[in-house]
Amino acid sequence: MLESDLSNIVFNKIKLQQDKNMSEDKSINNAVVLSINQRRWRKFKTLKRGYYSLIILMSLYFLSFFLPILVNNKALVVKYNNSYYFPAFRDLLDIPLIGAVGGSSFTSGETLGQIGNASECRYRELQQQFKNSNSDNFVLMPLYPYNPFEGTDVKDGEKFMPPLSSINGSSIRLLGTDNNARDVFSRMAYGFQVSISFALFVAILEYLIGVPLGAAMGYFGGKFDLTMQRFIEIWHSLPFLFLVMILVSIFDSTFFLLVAVLTLFAWLGPAAQMRAQFLREKSRDYVAAAISIGVPTWQILIKHILPNSLVPIITFFPFAVVGGISALVSLDFLGFGLPAPTPSWGQMVSVGLEHVTDGYWWLVLVPLSAMFFTLILVTFIGEGIREAFDPKVFSRLR
Amino acid sequence: MFDYFLRRLLLTIPTFIGCTLVVFIIVQLAPGGPLETQIQNLRKGGGETSGNSSIAGEQTLPPQAIEELKRFYGFDKPLIVRYLIWLGVWKREAETYNVKINERRLVGNGKSILVKGDMTIVDADNLADVLDQWNVTAENVNGKISYRVYREEYSGILTGNFGKSWTYRKPVIELIKARMPVSIQFGIIGFILSYTVCVYLGIQKALRHNSKFDFFSSTIVFIAYSIPGWALGAVILVLFCTESFFPIFPLGGFEDKFYNELSFFDKILDRAYHFVLPTIAYTMSGFASLTMLMKNSLLDNLSQDYIRTAFAKGIREKRVIWLHAMRNSIIPIGANIGYLFGVLLASNYLIEKVFVIDGIGMLTFEAILARDYPIVFCYTVISVVITLFGSIISDLVLSLIDARIRFK
Repeated sequence: MLESDLSNIVFNKIKLQQDKNMSEDKSINNAVVLSINQRRWRKFKTLKRGYYSLIILMSLYFLSFFLPILVNNKALVVKYNNSYYFPAFRDLLDIPLIGAVGGSSFTSGETLGQIGNASECRYRELQQQFKNSNSDNFVLMPLYPYNPFEGTDVKDGEKFMPPLSSINGSSIRLLGTDNNARDVFSRMAYGFQVSISFALFVAILEYLIGVPLGAAMGYFGGKFDLTMQRFIEIWHSLPFLFLVMILVSIFDSTFFLLVAVLTLFAWLGPAAQMRAQFLREKSRDYVAAAISIGVPTWQILIKHILPNSLVPIITFFPFAVVGGISALVSLDFLGFGLPAPTPSWGQMVSVGLEHVTDGYWWLVLVPLSAMFFTLILVTFIGEGIREAFDPKVFSRLR
Repeated sequence: MFDYFLRRLLLTIPTFIGCTLVVFIIVQLAPGGPLETQIQNLRKGGGETSGNSSIAGEQTLPPQAIEELKRFYGFDKPLIVRYLIWLGVWKREAETYNVKINERRLVGNGKSILVKGDMTIVDADNLADVLDQWNVTAENVNGKISYRVYREEYSGILTGNFGKSWTYRKPVIELIKARMPVSIQFGIIGFILSYTVCVYLGIQKALRHNSKFDFFSSTIVFIAYSIPGWALGAVILVLFCTESFFPIFPLGGFEDKFYNELSFFDKILDRAYHFVLPTIAYTMSGFASLTMLMKNSLLDNLSQDYIRTAFAKGIREKRVIWLHAMRNSIIPIGANIGYLFGVLLASNYLIEKVFVIDGIGMLTFEAILARDYPIVFCYTVISVVITLFGSIISDLVLSLIDARIRFK
């Protein structure tokens, strides 16, 4: 428990410094009552860069689940002949894996008075139509009325539209369109959610595999450890992106296949860290004490050693997310990523670079800026967490 | 100590075999291999001439031809045998010919052989000379017996035979060698650049710990860490190479079209001109870890007791830092030197793709797309060997420069 003892001392120090303005009684009281994790959280909050990054990223990710009612080509509300329709909200309830809870969002154009349009209603046109007709029918569009998949508004066969342009008085294209005339802003926004979700899936899965394996290797040691170590060394030396590419080209790429394939290579990191931690912790006195009073092994592993071994892997988590995002964008860029219409940053970049001499710069800069922004936020969070968990304080003589 | 490194060296053997076996199996199991592509091409070809592709195509490709193709690519043997052949510990069919009895047949290296009626194979010019390394098999095809002679030898990566590329029809080693200089140049420039910058920056950051300079440089370093090199490369490519912004640098490639006509000095300039952006992209991602390693290592040492003692003795600050603290702080940096080997294969196909550089990464990437296994295997072998030996050499260097470290 050396580490937490050390951090106790350090955090007390910090606490004392912070609470100098408060009454002395209170500060001592606080320092005693707070658990180590509370103190870590307090320290994290004092590291503004990481703390604000966490708030921004969490709120953006939370907001991204409401994208269907914020960025969509379907109307929020349509009032037509005294009945109301809420197609965008039905999209919102179309949850991945579970399915459309609120029923299909499909409403044909004819139901809403678009004569001769039996397919999906074109809500932006409908809005104009209702405005011109002077009835009490109305269409309320989302904040940004384009979805990431439609590529219809093409002017003279030209599909690429630069940022901040629009055709015939329709809503402005904030960040232009891509090679299929799809909206870049919309694709970027949906791509954010895809990227973060993907990286979180990979990071959590790699922990679920890596932590128990690494723990078992470290605690039990012996032949199991030795063979696993060889295995890990082999796995570690493999040219990983190449193998991912080959595997992805064997099977048809889907979101979860890609998660699985990346996890296959990513679990090594947490496993190695857990192994080192458990190897170190098992020789401590408290483990010997637990063994001697007959605590079952699984309890020693989970209740005693695990809580003392979590620091490095918790601080590693944001960096695992960074790795996941980068890997996804890289694979998408190479064309081995998510299946075709999925809004992805890497795919936009590859289109932009293909046409690099034609000046479609926004296709490169927009998704990469979004990626940089996200990665930097996550890295700052990681740096903040690392510092909050780090009991080391460097002092220097002058 | 010696025992330790000997054991490490010996342990590379199973690791090497494991790595190559995994890659071998995965690659060979992937569909769309050369055999399938070949067969499909032949079918298509047959189909075009006869006008009806699906029916006529099936007919134009007899099973014998497929057998022959299989033999050509080595797919007539089980996977594990193929692997052993590739390693060079199992006999490989080096040459194979269809022959008739008692008929001369010209084989490789200008010799002629002849199969006698009693199935012995002799040198056609000297009938008494029986050739042991040649074998003959007889096959009964539709009542007609056809003979095939073949010569076997041990020839694989262990004997230095990496095979021929199926798309380029050239030895793989030649292809890789041709692309090596670019990678090495990138590697060495990147290595020198990152070490000088990172060590200096790390020292400055440590000496001014918690200052504004430290804070801002940390921010930049972490940004550089989180961004993949190729993505940064794509951004600077668009910003500094295209007409949309500031077209200062050349768009892709690593040398000018007229590179070979330039004078020596101009050649260097031209190379440098083409190298600026890719080098930035290439070095950037490694910056963070090295800088922070240097900073933390120096900070760690500066808070040690021996530094306190040195100060207490009245030694000047400069001397304490540069002579006492630095000598110990540079150890972990120096230990990274083993990865210098990495410059041999300093290729990142993502960066090469962005800057259209024809390097090893690009070669391998295209080989994967084309299922050109020999190139993929060769790349795997080189990269595995570099990783394995890199880490051993790093440990060796570490133990040499730091007398306190004892490996057991």
